[in-house]
Amino acid sequence: MLNVGVIIKLEPDFSEGNVSYNSDGTLNRAETKNILGPHSAIACNAAFYCKVKYEARISIGTMGPPIAESALKQAQVLTDAEELNLYSDRLFAGADTLATAEVLKNGIGKMFGENKIDIVFSGHRASDGETGQTGPQTAWKLGYTFLGNVIGFDIDLGRNVVIAKRLISLQGMDIIIEEIESSLPVFITIDPSYRSIFNTVSQRLAANKFRKEGTKRSEEYRQFLRVFDSKKLDLDPKRVGLPGSPTIVYRVEKIPRAKTNRKTEVIDPSNPNTLSPLIAKIIQIVRGE
Amino acid sequence: MEQFDAAIIGGGSAGLSALKKLSDLNKSAILIEAGNQIGTKNVSGGILYSKQDPHRRIYNVEDVFGSDFASSAPIERLIKKYFLHATSKNKIFTLDITALHEYKTNFGYSILLNRLNPWLAQLASESADKHGGGIITGVHVSDIQWIEDKTIVKTNELEEFQVKSIIAADGVNSEVAEITKARQKFKPEEVYFGVKVIIKLPENIIEERFHLNSSEGSAHLFAGDITLNHVGGGFLYTNRETLSLGAVYHYGSLLSNPVTPSELINVLIKNPLISEYIKDEVPLRNENADLSKEDQLKVQLSVSKLIKTYNELRYKYFSKNNVELVESGKFTNIEEIRSKIDSIKQDLIGKYGVQFVNNYVELEYSAKLIPDGKRCQMRKPYYRNILFIGDAAGRGIFIGPKIEGLNVGIDDAVRASIAISRSLENNNFDSGYMGSYYESLVNESPYTRDMTKIDKDYLTLFLNVVRNISMDSIDPRLAIGLRLMKNTRFRRVAVGLANILGYNKILPIVESEQTYVRVPNLLANKLGNIVTSSYVPVIPTLSERIAKLQYNDDSEPHIIVEDRRSEFMKKLLLLCPTNCYSYEGEDVILQHEGCVECGSCSIGTKWKHPKGEKGIIYRYG
Repeated sequence: MLNVGVIIKLEPDFSEGNVSYNSDGTLNRAETKNILGPHSAIACNAAFYCKVKYEARISIGTMGPPIAESALKQAQVLTDAEELNLYSDRLFAGADTLATAEVLKNGIGKMFGENKIDIVFSGHRASDGETGQTGPQTAWKLGYTFLGNVIGFDIDLGRNVVIAKRLISLQGMDIIIEEIESSLPVFITIDPSYRSIFNTVSQRLAANKFRKEGTKRSEEYRQFLRVFDSKKLDLDPKRVGLPGSPTIVYRVEKIPRAKTNRKTEVIDPSNPNTLSPLIAKIIQIVRGE
Repeated sequence: MEQFDAAIIGGGSAGLSALKKLSDLNKSAILIEAGNQIGTKNVSGGILYSKQDPHRRIYNVEDVFGSDFASSAPIERLIKKYFLHATSKNKIFTLDITALHEYKTNFGYSILLNRLNPWLAQLASESADKHGGGIITGVHVSDIQWIEDKTIVKTNELEEFQVKSIIAADGVNSEVAEITKARQKFKPEEVYFGVKVIIKLPENIIEERFHLNSSEGSAHLFAGDITLNHVGGGFLYTNRETLSLGAVYHYGSLLSNPVTPSELINVLIKNPLISEYIKDEVPLRNENADLSKEDQLKVQLSVSKLIKTYNELRYKYFSKNNVELVESGKFTNIEEIRSKIDSIKQDLIGKYGVQFVNNYVELEYSAKLIPDGKRCQMRKPYYRNILFIGDAAGRGIFIGPKIEGLNVGIDDAVRASIAISRSLENNNFDSGYMGSYYESLVNESPYTRDMTKIDKDYLTLFLNVVRNISMDSIDPRLAIGLRLMKNTRFRRVAVGLANILGYNKILPIVESEQTYVRVPNLLANKLGNIVTSSYVPVIPTLSERIAKLQYNDDSEPHIIVEDRRSEFMKKLLLLCPTNCYSYEGEDVILQHEGCVECGSCSIGTKWKHPKGEKGIIYRYG
């Protein structure tokens, strides 16, 4: 039985219409909708591939406040996970990537009744953090082989190895696809370009079945949810949260708004006078001016 | 290579019935559907019948999908009234033929396949799951090969797989039939060409206009001058909150006198009776031609939002579910919704010069070929270990107002499932064992008898329906014929003789311009009532109709024109329902992007369905 863990993150929804900013340009977290991070969703897809192709069991873990269970629910829809784990404790507040990795390491250790996890997937990065450090650091703490930028993989269960394709794109160089073989266990961060391909009848049938099951399970996701605090995770308070974070925040830059080529202006459609500037602009564009 | 007991190719109502039945017989079956979702490639008239026969078994939809079908399935309306309208300009002669509709009928529901088939799929899929089978969408079967004793299915999307048996439920343009050469392509004179539009009309207005009780519906057939001298006619079925308006003609008749399919619809819409049936109060924007372009745009933007809100509220208000708006807390009572609608209307009139005029609202344009079972049903509906069902086997009943296709496909599906189940139990898939047995089961079906012999009881009923019409002044020969047929003994002898001669000899007389065009025209002219329409419908252009359709474009065409200068291809310039063919010099060329996959060009082309998930995506069907 292949045991697969997935590390996910609840992130602000940066898509148009869902994100809200304070007047000083910083993110208004209270008003911004939170969703399962897009890179976490891709990691979930990779885990689902393991379920369909290798009949893997899936355990999902996330560190965050109680509200983060909504990300676990969304991840269960994508993966039909057997287990959802929320690592939540006030002591975890203010954690940098290293302190987060400490929590995740112990969390992964508790998955499936402390059975060894063969593969851990995580997203390439978080859309609100962008450092891409949590995955590799967790791998290092677990002592797992780390494979980054993975765009495709197959597992040889007989030999207990994974054969992965990594996308390496370095500035000034041709894009390289590296095929690499590694013994299990491994920690894999999934490249954003990853797509699961189910190209046999059995895989399609299994995918359909698990998708239905995942949707059904997620309706009662709390039955699958386990919440761990620092004690349950056997964590040393000095190694988590702010005390466990060696990163010293010297200065906080404003979170830049997503790049956009458009500016939005709200116009009252019931008042024709407010439409004049808009019409003028449209005509300008239509005329190619 | 993966191996499965049975593969069903095509996820229409027949294919889904086969999956459900095989699964209920504890057999493992997979269904392969090319559309990205079940129902997106299916079009029907459509009425789904459940029939009965005192002597022979019929397998109905409720036998396959459960006795609570009528209360659980997303059906439209229970058809309680059936009319035949003879038309001649503004004169209409109406005949109540409900008795014919009720003949051997348990029920007949109007349906929209994109609503019904996903429901059938859900039930079929649940049953199939239990036996290791299921539905796979977005996959197009491209080839079937027999290597030694293995049957190998190839697709554009998946690794090839092996099966013991196949049910071909891939419709009138069956590629399985084409691949296997199990039958010839249907000839134009063997198929009907159908074209249809879905028209939006509020639920309560439908009931008021057609004098219907809640959930009940009516069906209307049209013949006479609306046929534009073709053999066939028009139909209008009431759905829950839409109408299905269409025209069905012998394809041979259309080929001999080509006309644009959309024009066949337009002539129906222009008929005063129909234009009154489909009429609705529709907001018409003031063009404001005297305003500058800038100001016109300004007004358009403001009006769009208000009209959207107005329409949404109005359709809801005139529906059975209007109470939901109160329950959701948006309104305190029903009257408040009415006054909100009125106030938006007044705003649109007063502030923006919008007029509320009589017109109609079209939602979806569609087209398909329909096999005429009398002429093209496969005598041996099998090839090796493949059984053909429904449209793929050329099976459908079209005898005057008796129009049945979906129920025939379901009946076939059960019979094919029984044959395959027996073969799986005895591990014998030889055509002499499985195919012959299926053929014998199909021959036992009352539907097969309907496709081969004249039913004297149905004929008697028909004569009863028309007995009070004075035909003497219309067609003396027909009048004599009808008078003679009223004599029981003569009728028995005539039907016996006709059945000896066979449909082939009789059909050219019965299905002719005389019966579909001339007689109804004269009937309406001499005996019809004058109907006037209170408005002139503004009919969308073909481009506007195509623009409303949804496609997942395939960069590669799925059709290859074989002879660019043939007479047949030249006729397609008119006959293709979405105008995919045009001239390039003297050559007829194809632009496949707007294709609705009806197959009207398949006779003169190398025709395939698009690859998985590609092509037309019907929303109503």
